[in-house]
Amino acid sequence: MLLPEYYEFCCRVQLVAGHKALERIPALLADLGAKKPLIITDKGVAGAGLITIVTEAIKSGVTIGAIADNVPPDSDLKVVNELAGMYKQKECDSLIAVGGGSVMDTAKGVNIIVSENATDLMKFSGAGALKRVLKPLIAVPTTAGTGSEVTLVAVIKDHEKHIKMAFTSYFLLPNVSILDSRMTMTMPPFITSMTGMDALTHAVEAYYCLQKNPLSDSHAYAAIELISKNLLTAVKNPTDKDSRLAMAVGATLAGIAFSNSMVGMVHNLGHSTGSVCGVPHGICMSILLPYGLEYNMHKSEKFIAELLLPLAGPDVYSKTPGAKRAEKVVELIRKMNDDLYVATDKRHARCLKEVMDRDGKQMVPKEKLIEIAKAALSDPASAYNPEEADYDDNVMVLEAAWEGKPLDRTKIKKG
Amino acid sequence: MIFSDSFEFTCPIKTNSGKKALEQLPAELDALNAKKPLVITGKELVSKCVIKKFTKAFSDSGMTIGIFDGVPENPDWKLIDELKKAYSEKKYDSIIALGSGVIVEVAKVLNIAVSLNVDSRKIAKDPAVKRPLNPLVVVPTAAGSGLETSRFAHFQGTVFSSFYLMPALIILDPRMTRAESKEEMATAALAAFARSVEAYIAKSKNPLADAYAYAAIGFVAGNLATAVEKPCNKKSALAIANAVAMSGTAMSNTTAGLISNLGQVLVEMFQFPYGIGMGICLPHILAYYQKKGGYNIAQLLLPLSGPDLYAATPDSSKTDRALTIVGGMLRELYETVENKMPKTLKAAGVPQYMLADILEKLSLADDAAFDKEGYLTVIESAWEGKPVA
Repeated sequence: MLLPEYYEFCCRVQLVAGHKALERIPALLADLGAKKPLIITDKGVAGAGLITIVTEAIKSGVTIGAIADNVPPDSDLKVVNELAGMYKQKECDSLIAVGGGSVMDTAKGVNIIVSENATDLMKFSGAGALKRVLKPLIAVPTTAGTGSEVTLVAVIKDHEKHIKMAFTSYFLLPNVSILDSRMTMTMPPFITSMTGMDALTHAVEAYYCLQKNPLSDSHAYAAIELISKNLLTAVKNPTDKDSRLAMAVGATLAGIAFSNSMVGMVHNLGHSTGSVCGVPHGICMSILLPYGLEYNMHKSEKFIAELLLPLAGPDVYSKTPGAKRAEKVVELIRKMNDDLYVATDKRHARCLKEVMDRDGKQMVPKEKLIEIAKAALSDPASAYNPEEADYDDNVMVLEAAWEGKPLDRTKIKKG
Repeated sequence: MIFSDSFEFTCPIKTNSGKKALEQLPAELDALNAKKPLVITGKELVSKCVIKKFTKAFSDSGMTIGIFDGVPENPDWKLIDELKKAYSEKKYDSIIALGSGVIVEVAKVLNIAVSLNVDSRKIAKDPAVKRPLNPLVVVPTAAGSGLETSRFAHFQGTVFSSFYLMPALIILDPRMTRAESKEEMATAALAAFARSVEAYIAKSKNPLADAYAYAAIGFVAGNLATAVEKPCNKKSALAIANAVAMSGTAMSNTTAGLISNLGQVLVEMFQFPYGIGMGICLPHILAYYQKKGGYNIAQLLLPLSGPDLYAATPDSSKTDRALTIVGGMLRELYETVENKMPKTLKAAGVPQYMLADILEKLSLADDAAFDKEGYLTVIESAWEGKPVA
């Protein structure tokens, strides 16, 4: 167990997991002194019937103030203000956010306005501007991937002024996150594989990047074991509730790990691929993960090698010679992507050139790689990568990931 | 990784560990919206040097702090009422416990009194805590037991249990966590180890509590020998302090079993520290669990020995191997403290005729697995120091 010279670790969110975890909400709200929640969600989640499941599970124990299902895919200040108005008008006393990252961000924004009685959200942006406990917020994640149910950040966009406001505060954390297998049961195989690999990337990067610490390590380690054992099952048998719950727990563990350790090159290049070409985050993560590992292997081989045990179990670990374990990890992650490619009827892309949009058009034309490599230089995630990557390195890694060919590790400039 | 199909986990604690961690305190208090903390410590319990270093770390911050350094070894309710009066008169808004053990118990109970504005008589009558309390920061010294970070407080025979009792922040600073003696270090490490092992092999385990227990067991296994041999070694002392803190979170999120219940009974009946009682009983309890079955002792091998030995050991031998390692760790520890710590309940001064009383008290603990005959065997073998028959 490695003890860094200095580290911080924090995850204040209460976690409630189970096949019937939603039923605990009324009692949890009562503990927080609340009984009339506003439910915030999006059309996709509501359309999949998930809000019906939530309301059925809680309606005997609480009065539902209102249900707002108009959160857009990209958080929007206008919607935040509108929902805050609804909260006040219906005299709600708490929030339940059911959905993914944008829903969580929106609910956090609404919570600032209704708790602080604010008219200008901007006043509370930045780090540490919030000074007191906000209204009770319960998060019900519907994708097992992002980890946003345990993060203390919210990003709200003002589309009129074209600005992006970021908020960071422990007071933004949900009081409770509910991990219920029913909330991910209807997620299509392709989304399940993408979000699952997103979570795996969080855990793996948390484990080999510079700000790792003993608790982020043990959370990451457990996440990797749960995800590697359950992802393919959840993709192949979407209604297998045990693997759904295990994925939800694994993704939350991974979210806790990476938000306490920061991440590296995979996120760095992934963010840029997302912003330049509009590729969904999870797809970028799953494609880039093996390349990030190869690029950093000379610096972090020991840590990457350790991951073979949670990834493949004791038999494979003990049969693989010590010097080959890190490479085996990369090989197995590539194999996971291959297996997911087959299991999703070729929708889970294995390399950047395979990423298609809805109309079957290639999303990352090769000539865009240069732009992505440049954008990556200004992404904050680059600071925590074990090896210092410059523009040429980024291009090299992106080209390999575009073709789907393992990185030629002899060409890496070792700093 | 196994978990029962539903679980809950809570840990409101932020951990800051390492070099100059104390210097982070003003900024951390600000993030908790605490402007005027009252520091609770005890001159008789914490070395002068530690208190001096603590105040020095604060001196540049410009923050007003109050210090009460009179926590005695056996504090009473009167002290809580006096402190409550001072807290409200001087308008403090948060508590920093500087020290471990009883100092933190006082801080937790005082926090109930001031946050809920109730006097001691009322607290003793109704120990339930149902709403968030004011910020509590713990800066532990080496003399910890794991209870500091837990959801429990024990005071004058009253047991408190609420997640609201857990500190908001724990500062593990190498200047604070060095031990005064080998025995002090060994006692803290044993308490952390026993509690984490219990959480890790528990039937009601969950992956979050496991993450804490796993790291704690790894820290004890990797640092025990050095920490006890050289209680002044900053690095190993900090590793043990990390383990102690993590064990409190692990135990707060798993059901108490024989290890912590017996540890508690021994503390209450004979007043020796948690680590002594739990350390004596641990190997006997593990042997009993092995015989009984259903406890995941094999899994302990991973944090105890690391991945190589774990993966190379056949499943059928993992339990034995784990128990051998635990036995070896304890043997080495007792040798290092030159037998100044008792290895058996008999050596600890427990009269044989009281073994039945221990069992009776144990039966009152809320332990679903209570097994009269089995538990008696454990107590008897821990008394005599003979392996469980």
